[in-house]
Amino acid sequence: MSRLRALRAEGIVLAVLALLPWVAPALHVPADVLTRSLIWGLFGLGFDILFGFTGMLSFGQAAFYGTGGFVSAWLLTSGTLSSVPLALLIGMAAATAYGLIVGYVSLRRVGIYFAMITLAFGEMSFFLENSPLAAWTGGENGLPGVPTPSLGLFGHVYAVKAGWPLYAFIATIFFAGYVVARRIVASPYGVVLRAIKSNPRRAPAVGHDAQRYKLSAFVLAAAYAGLAGGLLGVFQGYMPPDAFFLSTSGQLVLSTVIGGRATLIGPLIGAFTWIDLRSVLQQVPHLGAAWKLIFGAVFVVIVTLFRRGIFTISWNPGDVHAVGVELPSD
Amino acid sequence: MPSLGLFLSQLFNGLALGALLALVASGLTIIFGTLGLVNFAHGALFAFGAYAGFVTYGLTHSFVLALAAGALVTGLLGLLMEWSLIRRYYARPPEDQILVTFGIGIVIVESLRMAFGGLTQNVPQPAWGRGILNLHYFFYPVYRLEVLGIAALALFGLYLLIYWTRLGLIVRAGIEDPLMVRMLGIRVPRVMTLVFGIGAVAAGFAGVVYAPIVSAAPDMGSSVQVQSFVVVVIGGLGSFPGAVVGGIIAGEILSLTSMFDPAYSDVALYALMALMLFVLPRGLLGTEGRG
Repeated sequence: MSRLRALRAEGIVLAVLALLPWVAPALHVPADVLTRSLIWGLFGLGFDILFGFTGMLSFGQAAFYGTGGFVSAWLLTSGTLSSVPLALLIGMAAATAYGLIVGYVSLRRVGIYFAMITLAFGEMSFFLENSPLAAWTGGENGLPGVPTPSLGLFGHVYAVKAGWPLYAFIATIFFAGYVVARRIVASPYGVVLRAIKSNPRRAPAVGHDAQRYKLSAFVLAAAYAGLAGGLLGVFQGYMPPDAFFLSTSGQLVLSTVIGGRATLIGPLIGAFTWIDLRSVLQQVPHLGAAWKLIFGAVFVVIVTLFRRGIFTISWNPGDVHAVGVELPSD
Repeated sequence: MPSLGLFLSQLFNGLALGALLALVASGLTIIFGTLGLVNFAHGALFAFGAYAGFVTYGLTHSFVLALAAGALVTGLLGLLMEWSLIRRYYARPPEDQILVTFGIGIVIVESLRMAFGGLTQNVPQPAWGRGILNLHYFFYPVYRLEVLGIAALALFGLYLLIYWTRLGLIVRAGIEDPLMVRMLGIRVPRVMTLVFGIGAVAAGFAGVVYAPIVSAAPDMGSSVQVQSFVVVVIGGLGSFPGAVVGGIIAGEILSLTSMFDPAYSDVALYALMALMLFVLPRGLLGTEGRG
């Protein structure tokens, strides 16, 4: 019974993801809005482990989103690889490796320094993409012509088309990522991560190598970011250089805080909020650029008054926090 | 090898850019030193100053008035920010302080975008800054030399304020021992509001000075903000001399490396920052900081 209860969140997420193709058209939400939200949600799963659970506020996640995206897109557009899933995995591995290097340097400082340094490394990665590596990345133009995946099922080759089929492909990957992330935060390892967040001095004092835990959380976040970046190229058929922008890292922070930190699903909800708002406002004259102003103002209100984000206001999933030992909330 | 003329002109470019970065970073560092928070809206204040200067210049056609108004209005915005929101955050975790200033920065930048559009606005150079100077080895735009002078003067003004006034004494004491300052009966909240205002003035003033070189755009502050972060990481967060030294170093790296290959100039700056983190994690002149 308790095992079933522990899987309640997974069940609800799976049901919602499966029902959306039938519900969303009635609510006038296009498939592309949902697919894009899922990519951000996947990006946010890793970031939530890093920030929501471990308490490390990185402003440079775009570095890994872009790395995964451009490595995958380059493999597919240069003719090196034809298998989309394989290219996504290699892009993810590249982002993970890059995360290990950046994390190793950034973690020499904590708190505000960590936020500033990751921001700077994010910007450095953008400049690397933009000029020295432009021969591979296309510089300001990005990489066009990223193919959609073809999957071999029971001897048939099934080409995943844009729209709802691509939604299903990305929703499946998101769900797998969500289940893995839930396992991670519920494991003894995840408990140590939360211990580091709630008391950064005590965790090492009781014998945990906090630095290694932090680095591993950073690398995990980079891996999720890399996979999400690869999917962005597949989804758009084009890998845009703005994956590396500072505003991409910032948007991830906004989505996560607005949706709710330390909930795993919060970043997806936060991302959906702005992506849908943007797609609605773009149809209204003179208000196309207003979504970010609205989103920024809402963010300030949420940070000031509702620290736990809209998701935890509306529904407290409880069991995310009820695993293992009870830790004092911050 | 580049010619001597090119080298000298890039050296001057580096100084002008460095002095400007030093000004922005010193605003950041004074706020951090006194209030203990990193202002992620600093780049937005920089852009806000540039726009305030742009509007004033359009109305009065006086660059001096534009400078004064840009600095003043940005300072007022800084006072308002501290008084309305930021003071509620001193007791909260540093991450929340970063988040709220980051959010305020977005609101400022997006308000500018709504009011003026996303396109760049050309801010003309002042009449006394037009033309090119023959410096024997190379030709150099007059305005860039003046930027160097104006930024150096502003930094000197900040120096006087911090080291030779009663307010500056309180600020420096507050950096050393905030509790003792409070126990001595000084009204710390008012000083904090004022310090945030001064930091905002530094950013806004730099924005007006910089606007004729790059044109004003809503996002113009974001790269300056990151560069000023690098400056304080190099110089040591919370140290005013560190901000000045770090600013000049950063400015010179950006312009001297672009002499060889512009593609690598920004990358070189961040590479230096990474190196600093290994060799001197506290920065050149940083003390045992709160970070």
